[in-house]
Amino acid sequence: MTDQTLQTRATASAIKPKLSRDDWVMRAFILGIGLWLVVTLLLPLYSMLSKSAQNKDGAFVGLANYIEYFSTPALFHSINNSFFIAIVSTIITISLASVFAFILSRSMIPFKGVFKGIALLPLLAPSLLPGISFVYLFGRQGVLKDWIGDYSIYGPIGIVMGEVFYTFPHALMILIAAFSIADARLYEATVVLRTSRIRTFFTVTLPGIKYGLISAIFVVFTLVITDFGIPKVIGGQYNVLATDIYKQVIGQQNFEMGAVVSVVLLIPAILAFAVDRFVQRKQVAMLTARAVPYEPKPHALLDKIFFVYCCVIGLAIIGIIGMAGYASFVTFWPYNLELSLNNYDFDVMDGGGWSSFYNSLKMAAYTAIFGTVIIFTGAYMVEKAKGFKFMRGIIQFLCMIPMAVPGMVLGLAYIFFFNHPDNPLGIIYGTMPILVIVTIAHFYTVSHLTAMTALKQMDPEFETVSASLKVPFFRTFLKVTVPVCMPAILDISIYLFVNAMTTVSAVIFLYSTDTSLASIAALNMDDAGDVAPAAAMCMVIVATSAGVRVLHALLTRGMARKTQAWRKR
Amino acid sequence: MDNRGNDASDKAYLKVKNVTKNFGTFTALKDISLEVFEGEFVCFLGPSGCGKTTLLRAIAGLDIQSAGSVSQGGKDISNLPASERDFGIVFQSYALFPNLSVADNVGYGLVNMRSNKADIRKRVDELLSLVGLNDQGDKYPAQLSGGQQQRVALARALAMSPGLLLLDEPLSALDAKVRVHLRHEMKELQRRLGVTTIMVTHDQEEALTMADRIVVMKDGVIEQVGTPEEIYRHPATPFVAEFVGTMNFLKASKGEGGQVLLGGHALSLSDREKEKLNGKDILACVRPEDIAVRNVDQATDNSFEATVKELEFLGSFCRASLNYGDGESQIAADFSINLVRDKGIEEGGTIRVALPENRIHIFSQG
Repeated sequence: MTDQTLQTRATASAIKPKLSRDDWVMRAFILGIGLWLVVTLLLPLYSMLSKSAQNKDGAFVGLANYIEYFSTPALFHSINNSFFIAIVSTIITISLASVFAFILSRSMIPFKGVFKGIALLPLLAPSLLPGISFVYLFGRQGVLKDWIGDYSIYGPIGIVMGEVFYTFPHALMILIAAFSIADARLYEATVVLRTSRIRTFFTVTLPGIKYGLISAIFVVFTLVITDFGIPKVIGGQYNVLATDIYKQVIGQQNFEMGAVVSVVLLIPAILAFAVDRFVQRKQVAMLTARAVPYEPKPHALLDKIFFVYCCVIGLAIIGIIGMAGYASFVTFWPYNLELSLNNYDFDVMDGGGWSSFYNSLKMAAYTAIFGTVIIFTGAYMVEKAKGFKFMRGIIQFLCMIPMAVPGMVLGLAYIFFFNHPDNPLGIIYGTMPILVIVTIAHFYTVSHLTAMTALKQMDPEFETVSASLKVPFFRTFLKVTVPVCMPAILDISIYLFVNAMTTVSAVIFLYSTDTSLASIAALNMDDAGDVAPAAAMCMVIVATSAGVRVLHALLTRGMARKTQAWRKR
Repeated sequence: MDNRGNDASDKAYLKVKNVTKNFGTFTALKDISLEVFEGEFVCFLGPSGCGKTTLLRAIAGLDIQSAGSVSQGGKDISNLPASERDFGIVFQSYALFPNLSVADNVGYGLVNMRSNKADIRKRVDELLSLVGLNDQGDKYPAQLSGGQQQRVALARALAMSPGLLLLDEPLSALDAKVRVHLRHEMKELQRRLGVTTIMVTHDQEEALTMADRIVVMKDGVIEQVGTPEEIYRHPATPFVAEFVGTMNFLKASKGEGGQVLLGGHALSLSDREKEKLNGKDILACVRPEDIAVRNVDQATDNSFEATVKELEFLGSFCRASLNYGDGESQIAADFSINLVRDKGIEEGGTIRVALPENRIHIFSQG
C-alpha cells in the first residue's frame, strides 16, 4: 500500500520534456537571429546613446551635450521646424490621399488600375527626386516660377511639397486597405433605414476607416520627420533635425552633437511608432470573417468629379517625375534646351560615376537575397518554434525596433559601433557588407511583418504532421513552407531591392569612395551644383526600380503558373 | 477483434497514468488515468474545453503533460518529443500540404525511410486504394472534396504503419451526409487494419457508432469509461446522462421498500438503482424514448395518468410534453408517429404511461 502511494507520487512528479533534434536546431537558429539583431541593431544604438553622453575624448559627461544642444537656438530651433514640416505635410498628404483612396475603392470611375499605378510611382524614386524636380519647376529659373509668386521654393514650401509627393503612396496603401474592408451589409442597412449619404459617411464610412486613418497619419508623420533627402536638396537655410545630424557629422565632424540630435529625432519617431502599433492591433480585431465586400455603384455626377480629381493628382505626380526626366536630358538648363545624353555621362562628374550605379545594383541585389533569407527564416523560427517563449518574445520585439529608428540615426549608430577601434567587426567598415547589413536592418520590420502574415496563414499543424511522419522540419520548410509562401517571399525581396536602390539616409555615413551608391552620387552631384546630372541619376534609379518591379510582376506570374498550380481548383 | 476492450485480460497497449496538464494557472487535465488496448477504437467525448484534445496532444507528445506518465507498447514515452513517438495523426483541418500532389502527401514520410522510388510508389498506391482514391494521386488537395481530403489525410497518417492512430475531430469539417458515410468507412478500415485508434469528438452520435469504448470527459476529468451501450444505458453521472442522448431529470424522493416517489406515484426500481437512493436530493431519470404507452393499463407497474400538454412534430417521431402528478411536473416522451395515430394522442388529451423499472436511473446528492 505504501509502495503504491510512493510510486504514484513518483510518476506524478513534474515531467521534463525531452527536446527533439528539430527543437535544438530551431533554438540554435533563434539564437542566431537574436544575435544578428543584437549586433546589427541593439549594440549600434547603444553606442550611439552612450556617445551622446560623452565628450570628444570619450569621457562620460552626462547630459552636458544635451544642455549645450538646448542652449543653442540654432540647433533646437530645428525641432520646431521639423514638427512644423511634419504636421503640415501630414495634414496635406492625408487629406489628398484619403479622397484618392476613397475614390479608388468606393467609386466607379474608369482606369482605377492606372491611377493606382501612377500614385505608387513615387515609391520607386529616391526622396531627393521631388526636391530636384521642384527646383526645375519653381526654382529661380523654373518653368512654373510664377505659380508661387514671391515665395521661394527653397525652404518650407519646397520641403512640404516634396514630402507630400514622397509620402503620398505610403498613406494611400494604408487607406485603400482601410476602405476596402468595408462591410456591404452596413451600407445596405443604411439604405433600408433611409439614411442620407452624409450621415452614412459619418456613421459608417468614417468609423470604418478610423484605425487605418490614424495609422496612416503616424506613418506619414514618421516618414516626414525622419526624411533627409528632400530638406537636403530643397531646404535651403531651413534646418530640420535630419539635416542637422548630417551637418554636425559631415560638416563639423561633431559626432557627439550628431548623436544628441539623433536621440532628439528618435523620440517622436518612437512615439509615433508606438501609437501606430497600438492602433494596428485594434484594426485587425475589426475584420470579421462574415463581412460581405462592398460593391460600389455608379453615380453620374460624383464619378465625373472624382475622375477629374484623380486626373489632377495623377498628372501632378507624372509631371514631377517627368520634369526631372526632361531636365536630365536638357543639355544646359535653361540656356540650351537641346536634348542630349550629356548629363548621363556620370564618369566625368564628381560623385562616383557609373560605378556608383553598379554598386547600387550590387548592394540592392545582395540586400534582397541575404535580407530575404535572413528575415524569412527568422520569422519562420519565431513563429513555428515550440517553447522558448521568452527568447521568441524578445526577438519579436527587436524586429519591431527598426521601424522606429530613422535611417540617419541608424547610419550614425553604425559609425560609432563599427568604427570603434576595439570592435573586431570594424573590418567591414567602409565595405560593401556594411552597406548591405545596415540596409537589411533599416528595412527589417516591414519585411518581417510581411513574412509573419504569410506564415500565420499556414496550417499550424504542418510541423506536427511532419514530426509524426519523422520528417525533419527543415525539409518541410523547404518543400512546403517556402513554396507556399513564395508570393510573400518575392514581395519581401522586391521591397528590399527597391528600398536599397533608393535609400540615402542610412548609408550616407557609411559609404567609402569604392562603395559610393547611385542615390548618394545624386545627392553629392546636387550638392556640387550639378543638378541636371543629379536628376539624371535619379531617373536611372527610377528606371531600375521600375524595371525590377516589372520583372518581379512577370516572375510572380510565371511562378504562379508553376509553383502555385495547386491554388487553382 | 471486436470489443477487445472488454476483455480485461488483454495487456494494455497505451497506459496513461495520473496525467495532469497545466496552462499557467489553468488546469486542463486533472490526474487522468486510462488504458487503451491493442486494436481498440477509443473515443474521447466531451464538450469543448473538457480537455479531450489536450489529452490527445499529450499522448502525441505535442503538448507534453505537466505531470504523470504515458507508456505505449510497454515503453515509457512520457517525455519524448512527437518525432520520437510512434503514431499517425489526422487533424480537423487535415493539414494537407497544399503544394504537393495527393501522392506526394501520402508518401511524404516514406521518402525519408526508403530510398527506392518504386517501393514508395507501390506503397502510396496501396494506401490510396485502401482509402478508395485509386486514380487521384496526381491531383492537388484543393481539387478534392472535403471527404476526399479527409481520406488523403488518413492515408498519410497510416503510411508509416504507426502503432497508434490519433484522430482529432476528423469529421467535423464535413457535411452531415458525408460525415455519416465516412464514419462507417473509417470504422471499417480501422477494424480491417486492427490499428489502435483514439478519436477526439464532441459529437455523441459519432462516438456511439464508431467507438469500442467511449471516454466521456468534463472539465479535465474523466466522467465515465465504457462501451457505447454502457454509456447510454447506464450513465455514471448526470453529466454523462445529459450529454449522451436526451434525458428527463425528474425531482423525486425516497419511498418505502426501495421505491422512489415521483409526483405522488411510487415507482419500483431495478436492484442496481435501489442502492443509489442514499441522498437528500434525488433525481429519477428516464430517456424520452423509454416511456411506454402501448399495453399499459391500471395493472401495469410504474404506470400513471398524464396529460399531453404539447406535441412537437419532429419528422419520424413526436416529442410530447406530459404533465403528471400535481399537474406542474413535466416529462418529455418520444412517441412514434404510428403510436400517436393508433392511440389517438393529441394535445390536451390524457394517456396512461409507464416508466419501466429497468429504464429508470437514480442520481442522489447530499
